[in-house]
Amino acid sequence: MSARITTKNELTITIDGKVCHGIQGDTILQIARANSIYIPTMCYLTKVQPIASCRMCVVNVEGVDGMILSCQEKAVDGAVITTHNEALYKERQNIMKLYNVNHPLECGVCDKSGECDLQNKTMEFAVASQSFTARDMHRPVENWGFISYDPALCIMCEKCVHVCNEVVGDNILAISVGGYKSTIINTRPGEECSSCGECMSVCPVGALVSTDFKYTSNAWELQKIPSSCAHCSSACSLSYEVKHSGIGNHEKKIYRVTNNYEFTSLCGAGRFGYDFANTGAKRDRALFTSAVEALKKAEVIRFGATITNEEASILQHIKESYGTALVCDEARGYQKFLEAYSSVSGKSLYSGSLKNLSKSRGIIVLGSKINDDNPMVKYHITMASRRERARVVYMHPIEDAAMQSIVTQFIKYEAGSEEGAAALLAKTLIDTKKVPSEIAAYLDDLDIGNLSAESNIGEDELEKLSKSLIKKSGFTLVAGSDLYNHPRAESIAKLLAAIELYGDFELILVPPATNALGVSLICDLDEDKDGYSVGYNAPGDFVLSAMGSGDIDMPALNQQEGTLTSVDKRVVPINAALAYDGYTLNNLACGLGVEAKYTIDYTEHLPVVKGYEAVAFDDLPDYFDASGNEHRGYLLHSLDAEQTGTLEEVADLPTYDGGVVYQCNSGNQFTSFTNKSKKLGTDDKLRGSQQFATLSKLNDGQKVRFEINGVVYERVFMIDTSMKGTIAINPYADMGLSSTTVSYYRFNQPKLEVMDS
Amino acid sequence: MSLEEFKNRNIGKQNYVKLDLEHTPQTPLGRFSRVVRRTLKGELFVGLYVTLREMINALFRGEMHTVKYPLEKLPISPRYRAIHDMLRLLESGHYRCIGCGLCEKICISNCIRMDTRYDENQRKEVSEYTINFGRCIFCGYCAEVCPELAIVHGGRYETASEQRASFSIFEDMLTPVDALKQQKEYDGFGAVSPNADENIKKTPLAY
Ligand code: SF4
Ligand code: SF4
Ligand code: SF4
Ligand code: SF4
Ligand code: SF4
Ligand code: FES
Repeated sequence: MSARITTKNELTITIDGKVCHGIQGDTILQIARANSIYIPTMCYLTKVQPIASCRMCVVNVEGVDGMILSCQEKAVDGAVITTHNEALYKERQNIMKLYNVNHPLECGVCDKSGECDLQNKTMEFAVASQSFTARDMHRPVENWGFISYDPALCIMCEKCVHVCNEVVGDNILAISVGGYKSTIINTRPGEECSSCGECMSVCPVGALVSTDFKYTSNAWELQKIPSSCAHCSSACSLSYEVKHSGIGNHEKKIYRVTNNYEFTSLCGAGRFGYDFANTGAKRDRALFTSAVEALKKAEVIRFGATITNEEASILQHIKESYGTALVCDEARGYQKFLEAYSSVSGKSLYSGSLKNLSKSRGIIVLGSKINDDNPMVKYHITMASRRERARVVYMHPIEDAAMQSIVTQFIKYEAGSEEGAAALLAKTLIDTKKVPSEIAAYLDDLDIGNLSAESNIGEDELEKLSKSLIKKSGFTLVAGSDLYNHPRAESIAKLLAAIELYGDFELILVPPATNALGVSLICDLDEDKDGYSVGYNAPGDFVLSAMGSGDIDMPALNQQEGTLTSVDKRVVPINAALAYDGYTLNNLACGLGVEAKYTIDYTEHLPVVKGYEAVAFDDLPDYFDASGNEHRGYLLHSLDAEQTGTLEEVADLPTYDGGVVYQCNSGNQFTSFTNKSKKLGTDDKLRGSQQFATLSKLNDGQKVRFEINGVVYERVFMIDTSMKGTIAINPYADMGLSSTTVSYYRFNQPKLEVMDS
Repeated sequence: MSLEEFKNRNIGKQNYVKLDLEHTPQTPLGRFSRVVRRTLKGELFVGLYVTLREMINALFRGEMHTVKYPLEKLPISPRYRAIHDMLRLLESGHYRCIGCGLCEKICISNCIRMDTRYDENQRKEVSEYTINFGRCIFCGYCAEVCPELAIVHGGRYETASEQRASFSIFEDMLTPVDALKQQKEYDGFGAVSPNADENIKKTPLAY
């Protein structure tokens, strides 16, 4: 009957008389939603495994007695399903009545009112009176810091617990089972969770709400501005919700950030760190002229990678017209790394994506404290770990307590020995029988004993690794920022390319800053040089700054339109949530004769030769369809590159004896923009283990001064009992303009001077 | 005038009196003789007498039929929609408004604006509330939608002002604490219906 050719994988079912197609393994609900058939649910959350706690999704299947939970029942080919009839309606109505037993009548003040699933479904099932009852009890509101939990409003759908475990991987929330007395409990109330707010965003009622937002605005008063997060290279989809600041102030203010929580997630920085706008910028003609003059005479433009593709494009045009050198410390290492990678892999871009990462069955993380560098990558690893039971091998010099629940094997290597680690990985993962002879010869020539001794990676560990990955497909290798500025970065890049090419691995090279990938592709970057310089969010003789600290103001990423290039190799749009009255980079460029009416006029002209598409900004889609497929902007095209590179001999590895300082922001801090946000906590301490303290002769609470790459840090030293080893962690997001001058290897051994207190 | 009288609109059932008017004369002679009759009858003095009587009644017997506006005002119908009042709870004296924002949302001319916050007692507090009476069209939707009978129309109907915008803030509209005893329940638009009690369905209780 159906004209479709069905493969073994596909199946056809009939829902309410409509013929629907799906694939093996799809649940009835998934197929229904994909076909725009409505089945009411209360506990279903697309991004986690079916929870099956509400029974709202019941359907009848022909030939099966009783009601079936459509959210967890896999569809069987040929099934005939009814989603709506009298009996199902009664069943659902009764469930809604039960949910309403003793539910406080406080919609009038509840933050969720207007977007509350309980309100909606109570109306939908016409629950006008109550026929059930239970003895009410006192359930006080609990304050968990930035989130507050009201057990009286909780309907025990368990979404929060599942998202915390399955997506975030923090396992903070649990269920205290006890019939009507059941509640959600915070298992580590004293400790900080990663403060991501994911639990709060998926809560269908007003039980979990942001303490900061609480009672400040009704949902319907807020205007949603769809955009992308500006803080890390994941550029997650989000909406800024804005309204006038108050009765006496008509200026728009961002009240909160929401996301499409069914399909996407946010980390704490994205959700709470939205107050980084550059406010109060004014137009001053004289200043404008001096900025244009400065750009004209500049020999160097130094900039940070937290800019849009369009701005990068403008800078490239300035370079082409004026011959100015473009220096981006955040992206230069990455650009060279990508080039070296292409020279072996033959492709301009790495193969992995976040979606595939979350479906991988074996994951290796190399050279990144990934939980802090890019939480969204960590979330996807968590999903793979929970759903696919993925083997997760975490290779890093520092053990990360936050990764504990998902990592199946931790391989510690010495700081500085990343090249050796990559070579050992290549040797372990590539089957020499199936590769070209020169690669095989290269791998056979590696002095495993020596590499293993120098990097401190045991041969038994490698054996365990290769055994654990046997007989499974779907592997992803995640590589991060420790590698891009390593002295042997190019060699490492080639080794990773070889692993991707011959080891059946997908590779993700996590960009080190928000738009490092975009800048790498669009700008022709130069080595740093002396001479008169203009800094854009970076130090220079004349500074353009979106942080509000320079000679002339620039709009922050929530005050302008444009696109970003994400770790997913996706070009995603950002929109202006707040007004900006000052000059933009495009205005300055026009002053230089690089003309365009609007910044977004450049969107169409992003370089096609680098994989961009000639699509105008206003034509970029930005939505998720009913099945959760992402239609945001477009995916970059990976182009063929010449395979001219050869694997290099592993260089003698430098050794780091004694205390080492690792440059890494943590606690939802990424850049000076997150640092500017008052809603996020501060991260300004040098943290190390007791061992580091002893080794460096430091005491807890002592103030130290040290210099890394010309930047002087004065930090309070704190002993972190969750840490081990001889490496301390030093944040740099609070260093203003110099926080973007990170063109150096992340492990250093600065001289630590104790300061008088 | 009581509410009952006001609501009595059964026009047509009252006892109307039909005036007994004489027919208009058809001939010139008839018309002439009517003029002579009326001229000599002295009806003019009847009229003057009535005027004089009423003047005396009004001035000396307290039977004045007009009021000295603006010194005096006539009571208005409870259904009249004048400048808003914000009522208080009679027992606690706390303002009734819970900050639900429904009035702000429903207001057809967008003239209500409010700020709320999370207060020290973990309650929603209305930190500021204004109505721009220059834009208000006195439609009464806000009073109707208010779930707490907090915002109501009061008796102040003089809305002339020197400027087009004329804002009232929360405190202006709120019943003064010392006048709580005089606070009257509002009977007009949005008030509970007289048979509200009959319509309530009770939740069954297991204890
Ligand atoms: S959770 Fe929903 S139903 Fe409950 S008080 Fe809040 S808005 Fe009303
Ligand atoms: S904020 Fe994030 S980590 Fe903390 S409990 Fe909620 S979901 Fe878990
Ligand atoms: S807190 Fe919210 S998400 Fe969690 S179980 Fe209760 S209602 Fe569901
Ligand atoms: S009476 Fe009508 S126009 Fe005036 S404040 Fe109320 S809702 Fe708005
Ligand atoms: S509708 Fe009533 S309770 Fe709600 S905000 Fe307005 S005045 Fe306050
Ligand atoms: S949605 Fe299926 S049980 Fe809740």
